[in-house]
Amino acid sequence: MDVLLNEDEEMIRDGVRRFFASECDIARVRGIEDDGAWTDPELWRQLAELGWLGLALPAAYGGGEAPFTQLTLLFEEAGRALAPVPLHPHMVAALTLAEAVEQGDCGALAESLISDACLGERLLTWAWDERLPNIGPEVVTLNAVADGNGWRLQGCKQMVEAFEIADYCLVAARTDSTQTGGDGITLLLVEPGAAGISSTTQRTLGGDHQSQVQFDNVYVDGDALVGRVGGGWDLARPMLERAMVLNCAMIVGATRRAAERAFDYAKERIAFGHPIGSFQAIQHTCADMITWVDGAELLTREAAWHIAQGMDAALAAAAAKSFTNERCQMVLREANQIHGGYAQVYEYDQQLWYRRAAAWSMRLGTSAQHRRTVARALEMP
Amino acid sequence: MDFGFSEENERFRAEIRAFIAENVSPEIVQEMKEGARGAGIGPLTKELILKIGERGWIGMSWPKEYGGRDADIIDQYIFEEELARARVPLNLGNFIEQAPAIMKAGTEAQKKYFLPRLVRGEVTFALGYSEPSGGTDLASLKTRAVEDDDGYLINGQKVFTTRAESSSHIYLMARTDPDAPKHKGISIFLVPMDTPGITVRPLWTLPGGRTNEVFLEDVRVPNDAMLGEKNGGWNIGASALNLGRAGARRYCIYVSPFEDLLKYLQTDDLGRDIAKDPVTQDKIAELYCEAQVARLFTMRSLSMVRRGQNPPYEISSEKIWGPEFQVRTTEAASQILGAYHQLWDGEGAPDNGNFPRQYVNAMVSTFGHGSTQVMRTAIARRGLDLPRE
Repeated sequence: MDVLLNEDEEMIRDGVRRFFASECDIARVRGIEDDGAWTDPELWRQLAELGWLGLALPAAYGGGEAPFTQLTLLFEEAGRALAPVPLHPHMVAALTLAEAVEQGDCGALAESLISDACLGERLLTWAWDERLPNIGPEVVTLNAVADGNGWRLQGCKQMVEAFEIADYCLVAARTDSTQTGGDGITLLLVEPGAAGISSTTQRTLGGDHQSQVQFDNVYVDGDALVGRVGGGWDLARPMLERAMVLNCAMIVGATRRAAERAFDYAKERIAFGHPIGSFQAIQHTCADMITWVDGAELLTREAAWHIAQGMDAALAAAAAKSFTNERCQMVLREANQIHGGYAQVYEYDQQLWYRRAAAWSMRLGTSAQHRRTVARALEMP
Repeated sequence: MDFGFSEENERFRAEIRAFIAENVSPEIVQEMKEGARGAGIGPLTKELILKIGERGWIGMSWPKEYGGRDADIIDQYIFEEELARARVPLNLGNFIEQAPAIMKAGTEAQKKYFLPRLVRGEVTFALGYSEPSGGTDLASLKTRAVEDDDGYLINGQKVFTTRAESSSHIYLMARTDPDAPKHKGISIFLVPMDTPGITVRPLWTLPGGRTNEVFLEDVRVPNDAMLGEKNGGWNIGASALNLGRAGARRYCIYVSPFEDLLKYLQTDDLGRDIAKDPVTQDKIAELYCEAQVARLFTMRSLSMVRRGQNPPYEISSEKIWGPEFQVRTTEAASQILGAYHQLWDGEGAPDNGNFPRQYVNAMVSTFGHGSTQVMRTAIARRGLDLPRE
């Protein structure tokens, strides 16, 4: 038991932080948003070249096979830097393909995609959300009807990240429409340009883009299958847990940076003849901010450790996500309060961290939903 | 990052649990409960503490020469956690706070005298820090120790001196140089409670226990009662105080009301009916997440201490989060159990009146051992380097 970072983990964190500090300054982040771009291709190329994209993917496909805990540190740093690249959807999809391959439930397409994902040559994303803002199995209603060797898809997916620029999207569909829970879900790889797909772009509070994707009699063949027909929940449950933990890591990284900016500002900003950081009202607020973000970080890292150990992470991930969602929003709010009027000004940088971390905390299920998971684990009646 | 305990750690935990199952009888539990409510440490409890001492579990992470066995600090944590969960009222504060200070600042003679006796339970310290005119601003203390022929003559008054009535010694902070800046004129004395001139008066508290006032009138102590250097007491005291705010014992105090509430809602007939409310379930889940943060803050402090660090702000975070979580839990419990929560004893009182006691106990945590406001100031200044003016 030692919850602090070990030497390898410190090296990863420091290395990634140095990389983002030199290659991804805030002007660059702002530029991508102002241009309305979906990604920063140059930064993506560099991440691939340095091996960060394959960090936790299997060595057999060119990855670094690092434990999930190290990947979580990469995501903390990506969040801290507000890196304008689709790291989250790419990694969620790639890790799920890797798990399916490891279980022997995947064809050649998935294998080639993992290799290409490590190299950054093909971009992956995933589509789960539909009508309700929850991420349980019950939200999946997109219909997949068997047709020869493949399926025909009918329905709608929401909040799909990087859809317009992705090469493949891992789509959760229902192959057994008589079921409403985990049974009857099937994961399928779909090309965004396939016939019958239409999508509209949604801009988010975080300044990035997502898509609402309509599937109208879209044909996918047997190669597209990831995992077992109707057994997709077995892959999807850990996929969602990994997605939640990596999302928490990004929130924590960005929130910590937003808080540090507020602490720095409190040291410099003079009011009534003193730096405002000398006032107890500000000091006590800052003390709470660091306590809350540290708490979120520890919960997130513990959940990551559960995943890395191959333990059941459902409770730990739900606890991390609900706590991080709410406490990090409180930290961001207080950081804004310390900045006062500047917090609302577009050309002042603080808002970039605020908007993104806030938007990320709104993804991947509501806090109330995750607390229901916790309550169930505690055997409430 | 490693959030798990090793197999050796788990084996040791099993050993402690087996010991507790075998040796902590219902009679002892009852005696300990009465003890916590003001009756003091009874004969069965004393015997239990001696048995624990015989097994070498007290002070087990200390060096062998001072009565310890060089054990992993994590095993010591596990020992403290299991004891605290079984509600054994071992005064572990001494082993966490006073013993390391004696090891660090004591003379060879003091180490040889005090440490083995602490391990055997023959020496126990009451903490003589707070005074009527100041507890939070500890460095302003007024108790004076004046050098005379062969030692010091001490006059003054201490307050909130818990266990003064049952301790063998008082770990006393007194001013030895009134002209020096306030942090630089303080010394620490290890004084037997039976020294002439010491009077103890009880202050009865809301949870049903006691703390004390201690009056010091012309208390004469020899030179070798002083711990460390003259006027160097503040630094010894402050580092011990920081480490004393962390650890299994405090963590268990913070989370025990939540664990009790959860158990009641899971297992009691009435509790299970109350717990069907989804709003209640949402609150319980929220508190569960917050309890994990309290646990993780303790794990973090332990990890840092094990690496030889004295955490600059992390223990203060633990000392804010834990007690305030404890208060939030008891206030939530009071609104979940409603009118049942007020029942102090008698037929129908849930968990034999445990809940209202937890409620008033929680309040004590937020100011005991340094108020949460002082902790916040410490985080801001020591942890975040915010300016003083």
